[in-house]
Amino acid sequence: MVHETIAATNAVVTLDVALPGIVWPWLVTVNMWAKSIGTGVIFMLFLLLKKHPEQVGSLRFPTTVVSIIFIHIFLLFTLADLHQPFRMWHIFFFPHVTSAITVGAWMATAFVGLLFLLAFQSFIKKNNVAFDKTLTWVVLLAIPVTLYTAGLMSQCTARELWQMPTESAQMILAALVAGSSFMILLSGSKLNYEAKKTLGVVLGLSAFMSFILYMSEYIFGPMKAEEVAAVLEYIKGDGPYTVMFWLGQWMTYLLPMLLIVLSRASKSENILKLAAILALAGLWLVKHVWLIIPQLLPMS
Amino acid sequence: MQLGFLVDLHLCMGCKGCEIACKVENEVPLSTWRLRVKYVDVGSFPETRRTFTPLRCNHCENAPCERICPVSALHYLENGIVNIDKERCIGCAGCVMACPYGAIYIDPQTQTADKCTYCAHRVASSMMPACVVACPVQANIFGDLDNPTSNISKYIQKNQGNVQVRKPEKGTNPHHFYVNGGNVTLNPLASHRINGHQLFNKITTLPIGGHH
Repeated sequence: MVHETIAATNAVVTLDVALPGIVWPWLVTVNMWAKSIGTGVIFMLFLLLKKHPEQVGSLRFPTTVVSIIFIHIFLLFTLADLHQPFRMWHIFFFPHVTSAITVGAWMATAFVGLLFLLAFQSFIKKNNVAFDKTLTWVVLLAIPVTLYTAGLMSQCTARELWQMPTESAQMILAALVAGSSFMILLSGSKLNYEAKKTLGVVLGLSAFMSFILYMSEYIFGPMKAEEVAAVLEYIKGDGPYTVMFWLGQWMTYLLPMLLIVLSRASKSENILKLAAILALAGLWLVKHVWLIIPQLLPMS
Repeated sequence: MQLGFLVDLHLCMGCKGCEIACKVENEVPLSTWRLRVKYVDVGSFPETRRTFTPLRCNHCENAPCERICPVSALHYLENGIVNIDKERCIGCAGCVMACPYGAIYIDPQTQTADKCTYCAHRVASSMMPACVVACPVQANIFGDLDNPTSNISKYIQKNQGNVQVRKPEKGTNPHHFYVNGGNVTLNPLASHRINGHQLFNKITTLPIGGHH
């Protein structure tokens, strides 16, 4: 930044009341976190049905219910974040299709409809064949539902930190981290250790790749853009979000990776569960820091 | 017709007449601004000078706020103005997040997005925007960018090589130009921003919609 590098300039803002700083608060963090779980468990159910079909039969309905609950938490917090929540219907009657918000709202609505169809097929009809066929389409739709928030963040021209395709990769990886973690906790005694090991591998690899992306941005981002450098100052040194950033990185990525290796060495399901709990809680912190820090930068 | 704005920063003396005129004309609520003047002090005592930069919506040709708005509350008028329909706005604040100029806010009274509209209602009645009328030194120049004989086009031609826009790297193609601007006046990262008391107040950031 010029004011720090050229003493002769010594420019100081002496009057400027900047317009609001934090525009998207923690409500949006909950939105992203809940959606990661809602779509992530669907991805994991699909994976388990392919890899361990004999184990997963009884998980069809509970997984669908978990997805329905978390997608509704996501929708509820989306609504709560609106300043005019009772006008939400405008998205369907006055849609503007260049907006990721519009496209996302439509897809999320279709996704909820399909989830209820899955619940109907598994609980009322008890038809696993139909369920598995529908699930394929639900998984296909879950991918753009997961990704649209990344599209929205990338449409925020003012926030240089949120770049495509990094945000897309982070959204999918967050869904895999959240989905595998939740399934490890949800499955209880219904899955054998081999199936849980598969979930552990997904959790560990997703955490590893996500961590690499964050560290790449942390180290190399400032070399590319002045605004990114300025934003990342908030999580470096004694920046206001440094502690939260590193707490999130340790809880979501580093400790779960370590614990998964330990659980495989000791064949301990409890260690795997601890990794899952840490990853789920840490994911909220990671998402929150990345949501807030670009909003701290003055635009004027 | 593509309407645009130009501010000659050498003429602006920071009187804030444009701010007040805008507030009155558009009934902008307390604690929010459609237009404001930023002061930046440059240099070390006694070699110091103060710069003044009026900041308002840039009415971009490629407006991120228009693109991100899910309900077309932000929309283009035929004359190039990026207008807002407050009755349609759902208050998602996507536009606030998208605008690289920090020119959009959530109105605490209506709980909808709001910003400078180049006084579209006055323009529709063949009047100049309120801030143009109020400026005592004619630092604000408003007119049709498509018409080479308009005042703004002539001013741009006369100052070739000295006409800037804010954050050109964002690719927004603003319809708001500055003459005699510089890095310190146009780049928010080029000046130090100290939290706490400023010249006339102790507010540095406004709460959104009247609450955090």
